[in-house]
Amino acid sequence: MRKHKNKIIAGVIIAIVLAFVFWYGGDAPGLRGWTPEPQEDVTVVQNDEPIKEEIAEAEKTISDIPVKEENAPATEENKPQKQDGTPMTPAEKIAMAEKIAESTQSSAEETTSSAEIKQSNEEYSEEQGMVINEVTGKDQYRTEPVPEGKPVPIEPENAVITDKELTCTLSVRCDTILQNIGWLDSEKVDIVPKDGVIFAEKTVTFYEGESVFNVLVREMKRNKIHMEFENTPIYNSAYIEGIANLYEFDCGELSGWMYKVNDWFPNYGCSRYQLKAGDKVEWVYTCDLGNDVGGHYSARNGK
Amino acid sequence: MSEFKTYHPIVNFVYFVFAIGFSCFFMHPVCLCISLVSGFTYSVMLKGKKAIKTNLIYMLPMLLMMALINPAFNHEGVTIIEYLPSGNPLTLESIIYGLCAAVMIVSVVCHFSCYNEVMTSDKFIYLFGKIIPSMSLIISMTLRFVPKFASQLKVVTNAQRCMGRDVSNGSIIKCAKNGLNIMSIMTTWSLENAIETADSMKSRGYGIPGRTAFSIFTFDKRDKKTLVCILLLGIYTLAGNLMGEMDFRFFPSMKMAEVSVFGISVFVAYLLLCICPIIIELWEVRKWKALRSKI
Repeated sequence: MRKHKNKIIAGVIIAIVLAFVFWYGGDAPGLRGWTPEPQEDVTVVQNDEPIKEEIAEAEKTISDIPVKEENAPATEENKPQKQDGTPMTPAEKIAMAEKIAESTQSSAEETTSSAEIKQSNEEYSEEQGMVINEVTGKDQYRTEPVPEGKPVPIEPENAVITDKELTCTLSVRCDTILQNIGWLDSEKVDIVPKDGVIFAEKTVTFYEGESVFNVLVREMKRNKIHMEFENTPIYNSAYIEGIANLYEFDCGELSGWMYKVNDWFPNYGCSRYQLKAGDKVEWVYTCDLGNDVGGHYSARNGK
Repeated sequence: MSEFKTYHPIVNFVYFVFAIGFSCFFMHPVCLCISLVSGFTYSVMLKGKKAIKTNLIYMLPMLLMMALINPAFNHEGVTIIEYLPSGNPLTLESIIYGLCAAVMIVSVVCHFSCYNEVMTSDKFIYLFGKIIPSMSLIISMTLRFVPKFASQLKVVTNAQRCMGRDVSNGSIIKCAKNGLNIMSIMTTWSLENAIETADSMKSRGYGIPGRTAFSIFTFDKRDKKTLVCILLLGIYTLAGNLMGEMDFRFFPSMKMAEVSVFGISVFVAYLLLCICPIIIELWEVRKWKALRSKI
C-alpha cells in the first residue's frame, strides 16, 4: 500500500511538472503559454523594470524611449502568432516558424525583393556545380539547393583568393533587440546601441575570392568591435556566436545573428558565401529564428 | 590541532555545509579570496606540512591550467587584449573569469580535504543513520573511499615490493605488468571491501527501526554557542548575498555591487564564518599556554 502511494505521488508530480513546462513554453517572444505581451510593451515604453543599473543608465534610458515608441507598432505587427495562447513543444515552435514564414511569404508584401524566387531549385544548383545527394536532397554539408539566380556555396578551402581588390558594403544591426528589450539579458541592456547600429553601412574592401566571413572578421578587428565565432565542420563554415558582446540566445531562445547578401538570406554558412564586387552584406540580429528580420526562407528550412 | 574535531558532529556538519556551499556559489573575488585563504590555512593546520606540499604540487598547476584554458574557449568581454591565431579575441574578462573559476575549485577542494579530516564517517552515520540509513552509509563509504584506497594501496605496494614485484623493479614492460597487477588487486579489494562493509552493517541490524547505536557525542553549552554563531553568520551571509551585496558581473564587462556598509558587514560575516574553526583552534592553543604557565 505504502509503495503504491509513493508511486502515485511520483506520477502526479511528474504530470504536474510536465504540464507546467508545456504551459510555460519557452524563453522567447511568443512561446509562452500565457500572453505577457501587453504588459511587457508597457514596461518597454516606461522602461524602468528591465534595467537594473538605473543610475548609470538614466540618460541612456531616456534617449531610448523614442526609439522604442517608433518601433512599437512594428512590434505588434510582428506578434500575431503570440496571441493564440497555446503552449508549444520545440517541434511545434519550428512548425509555427515555418507556417508564419509561408504565410508571410505568400502574402509577399515584405521588403525582401526575392520573395518570388525563394524556392530552391535543384537543377539550377547542380548546373552551378553543387553536388546534391539524391537520397537526402542536400549536399555533403547538409545544404539544400539554392534558389535560381543565387550563388551556390563555395567551400572556403577551395576558394582562390587573389590580390585583386574589390569593394562591397557591410553593416551590422540589432534593431530587433530594441523591439524586444524586455527579453534581453539584463546584464547586456547597457551595451545595446541606442539606434541598433553596431556597424553603420560602409563600403569595405575585400580581395577577390573572399567570403562574407573573411570580410566580417577583418572589419570587426579593424574597427575594434568584439566578435566571436566557432567553426562547425558539419556545415563547413564558421558560425557567428556573438558580435559586440551580443550573443546568440541573449534575447530569448530563438535569437542569434543572421546575414543577408543583397536582401537574400543564404541557406548556407557565411564562410561558404563568396562575395562579388558591389554585394550588399548585412548582419542582423533576430529574436525569432529570422521571422522578425525577413529571413523566412532560412527559418523554413531549419537554418 | 584538533579542537574543532571534538565538537558535536552537528556543529561540524553545519559549518561545512555553509563553508563548502558558499565557496561553490559565491563568485565575488573577495569571497573567493576569503574562501581560498581560510580553506588553505585550515587544511594546513589540520594536516601540517603535508597539506602545503599537496596544495603546491597539485593545486597550483591546476589553478594555472584552468586560468589558461578558459580564455582559449571563451571570448566574451568588452576588453579585447589581443587576437588569438584562430581570429577570435582574447579578452580580459575571460581571463579573470577563468582565474576566479580556478580559485573556486581549488578552495572547494581545500575545504573538502578539511571535511574529510574532521567529519569522520562515524560522525556522519551518527547524524544521518537514523533518518536515511542506507543513503548515509553509501555517502560515508564513498567519502571514505579515496583515503582508504590510498592507504590500502600503500600496504599492497609494500607487500609487492618485498617480493620484488613493485613498479620500480625491472624493465618498462615488467614495471607496467606489476603496476597492472597491483591495480587489479586494488580493484578486487575495494569491491570486496564494499560488500563486506555492507554485509557486516546488515548483520548488525543497521537501519532496523528501534535499534539504538552507541555514541560518545554530547551536545553541551560550548557546542550550542558555536552552533548559534555559525548559524547566525551563515544566515546573515546568505541574506546579504540574496540581497545582491555580493553580486559580481563578469560579462560583458566586469562590474561589482556598490560598496556599502551593509555590504562590507556581509563580507566580514562571511570571513568570520570561514575562519570559525581556525579561531577555535587558536583560542584553544592560547588557553593551553595560559594554563600551563600558571602551574
